[in-house]
Amino acid sequence: MKSANTANFLQIDHRVEKINQPKGTIILPSPKAWEDFAWLRKIVKTKPKEGYFIWVKEQGDSPLASCVTIASRKVNQQLTNILVVEKNIQARANVLCNAKEKNLEGSHKAKGVLIIKQGASLEYTHIHKWGLKDFVNPDYEFFLEKDSKLIYNYQNLLPPKKLDLVNAVHCQENASANINLVVNGLNSKVSIKEDLLLEGKDSQAVLKLRLVGKKKSNIEARSRVVASAPSKGHLDCQGLLVDKDSRIVLSPEIVCENRLAQITHEASIGRISEEELNYLMMRGLSENEAIDLIVGGFLTI
Amino acid sequence: MLKIENLKVKSRDKEILKGIDLEIKEGEVQAVLGPNASGKSTLAQAIMGNPKYRVSGGKMLFEGKDISKLGMEKRAKLGLALSWQNPPAVKGLKMSQLLEKISKRKDLKIKETEALLNREVNLDFSGGEKKMSELLQIISLNPKLVIFDELDSGLDVKRIELASKLIKKEILGKNPKTAVLIITHSGSILNFLKPSIANVIVGGRIICRSNDYKKTFQDIKKYGYEKCKHCKLSSN
Repeated sequence: MKSANTANFLQIDHRVEKINQPKGTIILPSPKAWEDFAWLRKIVKTKPKEGYFIWVKEQGDSPLASCVTIASRKVNQQLTNILVVEKNIQARANVLCNAKEKNLEGSHKAKGVLIIKQGASLEYTHIHKWGLKDFVNPDYEFFLEKDSKLIYNYQNLLPPKKLDLVNAVHCQENASANINLVVNGLNSKVSIKEDLLLEGKDSQAVLKLRLVGKKKSNIEARSRVVASAPSKGHLDCQGLLVDKDSRIVLSPEIVCENRLAQITHEASIGRISEEELNYLMMRGLSENEAIDLIVGGFLTI
Repeated sequence: MLKIENLKVKSRDKEILKGIDLEIKEGEVQAVLGPNASGKSTLAQAIMGNPKYRVSGGKMLFEGKDISKLGMEKRAKLGLALSWQNPPAVKGLKMSQLLEKISKRKDLKIKETEALLNREVNLDFSGGEKKMSELLQIISLNPKLVIFDELDSGLDVKRIELASKLIKKEILGKNPKTAVLIITHSGSILNFLKPSIANVIVGGRIICRSNDYKKTFQDIKKYGYEKCKHCKLSSN
């Protein structure tokens, strides 16, 4: 998303500043959508306080853009974000959640429900940029119907003080999910809980997790694939520990409940390669510049 | 430009360079020939300040300034550059991104290396691609003194010729004052770059310094490096 001006939905603190509905897509504040649509009340049981509702009903040309910002001190956002992509529609969404300044001490809790209907696809890019003292808790659930596809790119290069990231992805028959999570821990306490639930025949899911522990970060990531149908799943979890005061715990978990399923995992935590560092420094870069390039490369999926 | 006096270098407490004397003047092309494990790459890395190699004695002066205790990036900023024999891959970092950070020649375009720009630095590069990647980076740095560590190893004659042409055009052609130190085991590149002085390093010591690289190389091919110790050329 180039700027908030191009956003289809813009919320600052608790105020919805802008809604711009492209043709064939309904965009509303989620409390209003909850009142308007009975079907939504069956999915989301309690009335949302704030957040966006995006319902992609027709094929569009451009990616959708949403921006939720904290701009004032000690704001406590409690969002419910809903995104529904109708059958056979191919959608892209770029979502930015951020704090405008470093020391706002905000709280951003977001419950997300994303439904990708039969034959549809969604490429969802979720960028987080937070201040040094924020608390952030995205808790998203993705429902992938038969033959649908999801690419979910979550990138958090400016993390909050505390991040609790929770995702559950339900894959029905022949649905596929590619989940790419990138978190750069900078003096942060990060907890990640990721569940890939392979519930339908021939469903597939791949999780790539890249975590960097820097400046006294404490990162714990539990990633799990549960295969209850003949399906395929893979976890690729990698951590890079940059300083001696940080800690990363990776817990990949594979649960197989169907003998025709194939699920695998790989996990590793490494440090900055001295050889790479020397190589870049011999090109005239300072140690910090060289580390930034190596870390940036590691976080590129 | 670069003056090395009695340089002694250790790695993991083992002395590898045992008193190297070497002087390279502005615009001069010199070669260092030597067998495997003679200290060629150690010399290159020590000149650049790799902390893996500890200087235990001697001096290194660059343009009159003692660089023995300077960090790698400071030496690079002074104008020293090294083309690595086996450069490491930097995963996720594209060549174009790296060049954007390090290049002093913003208009740099080299047809032969364009295909590398969108790839991750040295990742899954063939031997030849790694050498071209190194050359491209070195050219972009506009250095005053370049060390090519085994640029010719693993390259066929055509590639060596191409690399030599690029060195002549983009380094020596742009700045004739640039000094070049060619470290080579095979010697294949020497006929293209024609060094004015050939040094032979054996067992961490330069045992021969000759201004006839052809004769030196012929003798090495004929008799091997051990004979260099007793060769008449060494007095030249």
